Amino acid sequence: MTVTDERALAAPVEGERGEERELLPTASGKRTWAAVRELARPHRRTLMGGFAALVAATAVGLLTAPVLGHVIDLVAAGRPASALTAPAVWLVVIAVAQGAATAYGLGLVARAGEGMLAALRERFVERALRLPLERVERAGSGDLTSRVTNDVSVITSVVREAVPALARSLLTIGLTMVALAVLDWRFLLVALLAVPIQAHTVRWYARRAVPLYAAQRVAVGAQQQELLGSVGGAATVRALRLEDEHVGRVAARSRAAVDLMLRGARLSTRFYSRLNLAEFVGLSAVLVTGFLLVRGGSVSIGTASAAALYFHNLFTPINVALGLVDDAQSATAGLARLVGVADAAPAPSPVRDAPGQVGDGSVRVSGVGYSYRPGHPVLHDIDLHIADGEKVALVGASGAGKTTLARLIAGIHQPDRGHVAVGDGSGSRGDVALVTQEVHVFAGPLADDLRLARPDATDEELRDALARVGALEWALALPEGLDTVVGESGHRLTAAQAQQLALARLVLADPRVVVLDEATAEAGSAGARALEASAAAAVEGRTALVVAHRLTQAASADRIVVLDGGRIVEAGAHDELVRAGGRYARLWRAWSDGRDGGADG
Amino acid sequence: MRGGEVLRSALVGQWRCAAVGAVLATGHQAGEALVPVLIGVVIDEAITPGDGRALLVWIAVLAAAFAGLSYSYRFSFRLAERASEQAAHELRLRITRRTLDPRGGAEAGRLPGELVNIATGDAKRVGAVHVAVTAGIAALAGLVFGGVALLRVSVPLGLLVLLGVPPLLGLAHLLGKPLERRSAAEQERAAHASGVAADLIAGLRVLKGIRAERAAVDRYRRTSRESLAATVRAARAQAWHDGGMLTLTGVFIAVVALVGGRLAVSGDITVGQLVTAVGLAQFLLTPLSILSWANGELAQGRASAARIASVLGAPPAVERGDGVLPEPVRGAVRLRGVSCGDGVLRGLDLDVAPGEMVGVVTTDPRAATWLLRLLGRSADPDSGAVEVDGVPLATLDPAEVRRAVVVAEHDADLFEGSLLENVAAAAGDGGGVRGAMVAAAADEVAANLPQGAATLLAERGRSLSGGQRQRVALARALAADAPVLVLHDPTTAVDAVTEERIAQGLREVRRGRTTIVVATSPALLAAADRVVVLDGGAVVAEGSHADLIHEHPAYRAAVLY
Repeated sequence: MTVTDERALAAPVEGERGEERELLPTASGKRTWAAVRELARPHRRTLMGGFAALVAATAVGLLTAPVLGHVIDLVAAGRPASALTAPAVWLVVIAVAQGAATAYGLGLVARAGEGMLAALRERFVERALRLPLERVERAGSGDLTSRVTNDVSVITSVVREAVPALARSLLTIGLTMVALAVLDWRFLLVALLAVPIQAHTVRWYARRAVPLYAAQRVAVGAQQQELLGSVGGAATVRALRLEDEHVGRVAARSRAAVDLMLRGARLSTRFYSRLNLAEFVGLSAVLVTGFLLVRGGSVSIGTASAAALYFHNLFTPINVALGLVDDAQSATAGLARLVGVADAAPAPSPVRDAPGQVGDGSVRVSGVGYSYRPGHPVLHDIDLHIADGEKVALVGASGAGKTTLARLIAGIHQPDRGHVAVGDGSGSRGDVALVTQEVHVFAGPLADDLRLARPDATDEELRDALARVGALEWALALPEGLDTVVGESGHRLTAAQAQQLALARLVLADPRVVVLDEATAEAGSAGARALEASAAAAVEGRTALVVAHRLTQAASADRIVVLDGGRIVEAGAHDELVRAGGRYARLWRAWSDGRDGGADG
Repeated sequence: MRGGEVLRSALVGQWRCAAVGAVLATGHQAGEALVPVLIGVVIDEAITPGDGRALLVWIAVLAAAFAGLSYSYRFSFRLAERASEQAAHELRLRITRRTLDPRGGAEAGRLPGELVNIATGDAKRVGAVHVAVTAGIAALAGLVFGGVALLRVSVPLGLLVLLGVPPLLGLAHLLGKPLERRSAAEQERAAHASGVAADLIAGLRVLKGIRAERAAVDRYRRTSRESLAATVRAARAQAWHDGGMLTLTGVFIAVVALVGGRLAVSGDITVGQLVTAVGLAQFLLTPLSILSWANGELAQGRASAARIASVLGAPPAVERGDGVLPEPVRGAVRLRGVSCGDGVLRGLDLDVAPGEMVGVVTTDPRAATWLLRLLGRSADPDSGAVEVDGVPLATLDPAEVRRAVVVAEHDADLFEGSLLENVAAAAGDGGGVRGAMVAAAADEVAANLPQGAATLLAERGRSLSGGQRQRVALARALAADAPVLVLHDPTTAVDAVTEERIAQGLREVRRGRTTIVVATSPALLAAADRVVVLDGGAVVAEGSHADLIHEHPAYRAAVLY
């Protein structure tokens, strides 16, 4: 697929992300299993040891039934009560051995499983962070997020709960069948009568369960979204008197989810009912066989009892194993999505990961054109030279191409035509940092958040960076200062504080060239002023391109570039442009004069 | 309201489903207990004497037992599920209704995510009490049934099992308790690794913006290794607990076999009864563990019910009122000596004539917030009065106030649905939607979306940029076409060019109706008929934007630099 073809599938326009999505890849079944084998390789010994211990535990456990059978035989043979002590002691020995081997085996399996999980998580995070931003955006940011949250948690719970349960159940089933055969091969043969019913039931169930559970997840997700919107936006709902409508919407979403949950309950109860049939068929076949074999004199009553008890003991492991079928299926699907991302990421590129100083910090944009959709260019023939240490403000209406130009300079997009060079024309974009209005506070201590930008920064350097952007005061006033846990489940920062944090990170990252895309926009008018001062301090001494909403921010730049319809229509210092009486002058007059710029411009 | 009331009303609401479910679940437990009994009977009555007729008869009885247990399981589980889901659904709606109630107050001190968790997770757990109660009743019945069957086989053996099983489970509980505590803490640390991964991915753009990918990966690897060590410890503890349970159960069966065998040798019980006793001893472990599980579920349900009760019983922020506004609403707004918020507003007097467009600049952001709350009657002043057309808002129902006064907050939320549905949400007959879209420059937003105004806004508009979101929210407020419109910083994320256009559109579309714009944007203030400056909780200056810019240095500093 060519670059333009790929773009045609999804065309985000200046921050707008529409409905068209090109999801991140999913690995094939073959590739997924290869990845599992790869993950398992370092743990081969542990896995084999754990498996062997579980086999031993199960085998020992199966001795219980014949020993009980022996007790029955002793009783039936009229032996004295003292003869029962030895088998009873054996039962205790079996119990202890089985318990110990099970614990040991489960411990080893868990160690291997958790190790594999950790490796999978780490590899996924590493590769996901290496994906080009353009690719992630084409898929919609929710795609990657849902993989790292939903898929990882499904796989984790399956590895932790389902895999050990499944392993023990399957071993019990397998070895019980062996034991049945040891008692008398005819017991095994008739016990297998249950298998066709079970096989059919599982196929019948899987066919219905997979789409139903998928629909359930969608419905529960929709309910969650609706509640987040209605309950989270309660103030807005009340202000616009939309209470009844929103209660109705929540009711509809909740009802839909409830209906699907009840369908799920009906399906799973029918599943287990059918398995009851298999239990009955198998058990009565074993009893009838026992009857015939005892009458024929080929087995003892004790043996027949043991066979019946064996089969009765199979009920639970079979139900457990078959009930895990859909868990296993959803984990496999999740795994394929994680492996798909891990495989899609490019090999680490030296440019991205090792920002070197590339000569001076000048930026040269020559003859650059760009379009998200073929035939719909967003930028035309942009020529722009930003001198080392110069501050340039980009002004223009939405859709004028400001963000696109900023992203081209930051290296997120590659130009269709022309080229963007940073420094001495080497073309490396490794020393350009981009801060947008999208703020994210990383969960954990505030100091750790800052150290993402410079891992070896001293506390002193952290404080200096915060002080520079005017954030030190509030940061030190947090309950535990820089050690305060912030982010998702920690101390909540305001939008303005979060943005100051982003600027402090920028100071620590210390790039030669900075692109600020509306980095002060989300704060509301009270915070915007303070943020503009922070931003100005953060870019001090660097080459800077600032996409500015507030004209006051543009006015303080060395040069202002006005974009319209993807072209540069005006450029110059604030005073020059005001004197020139063009577009920018009209805007500025409307601000500073209180008169409609259009009327006298 | 107390948690107990919530729990009781949930149970009472679904008692029919739950009661029938419990009866059927009891049948299921009885059936499960009957299976090992019947195995023993087949051995005694058919296999030992070699009686073919008896075999057929007892196999038929076994079939009946299976049919009974299967169907009763099927329908009991369905009924319990239905009761549980239905109760959760009703609680969810009560929580939603209380949160959205015009009087407000339910979300005080709670993050939105927390309320959503209460409406989903807690409602579900209270609903799930039905399953626990149903299963618990059945387990109790199974216990009684198994106990009686055992006692009928042999009184000493029955007493051994019935008196032996509870201490056995108690022992397991004791064994598990410290492990459980330790493992909970360690599981939490383990979950942390997944949380950190999700967090880093959520901040992907920020990381890439400052080229911090490598630092992030290194940090993640450390977190992941730490939590791996913790999880492995927890898993090993869990494994030894499981192994210990197996051993305990096995030893218990050995004791039952020894005692039962001796009774059988002495002729007190038959061989078949011995088999039955061993089977029942194993069986009884299940209802007992169900009981302890049900107990845990009940405890969780009680805790959830208490959280739900605190939402449902939250005191309202403002009281209802029975006054009415004279029709039609002219839109004269008057604040008289208004004080509130511990001196944020101090004796504020403000008059806005019908049809006037007034800009309000506040030096203290809290003053802006309070002004908005008072005008939309999300709160009442400590002293003084806020009036519309001469009627004090405190005498009106909050819903009645908002019929006349629409307050559009700076951080107003968009909702699930298309862009057009969002804009038209509060528009009466929908006539002004188009004009509102144009005035707020939301038509440009629509033009840039793949399906125009019909495009669904993913994640409640998070798929739009901040400026786009603001324009859609502003269009929605304008489309509501209220006699009084209060806007708060409606264009902070909108570029200067578009903001200028919006300022003119706003004037146009609100002509003849009262509009109050709380903002510091020169473009919007320039479009207002009059600008009022609040400082220290009262009006310190007023005039046109142009005059204030020239004559009032503090104003100039506030809006221009």
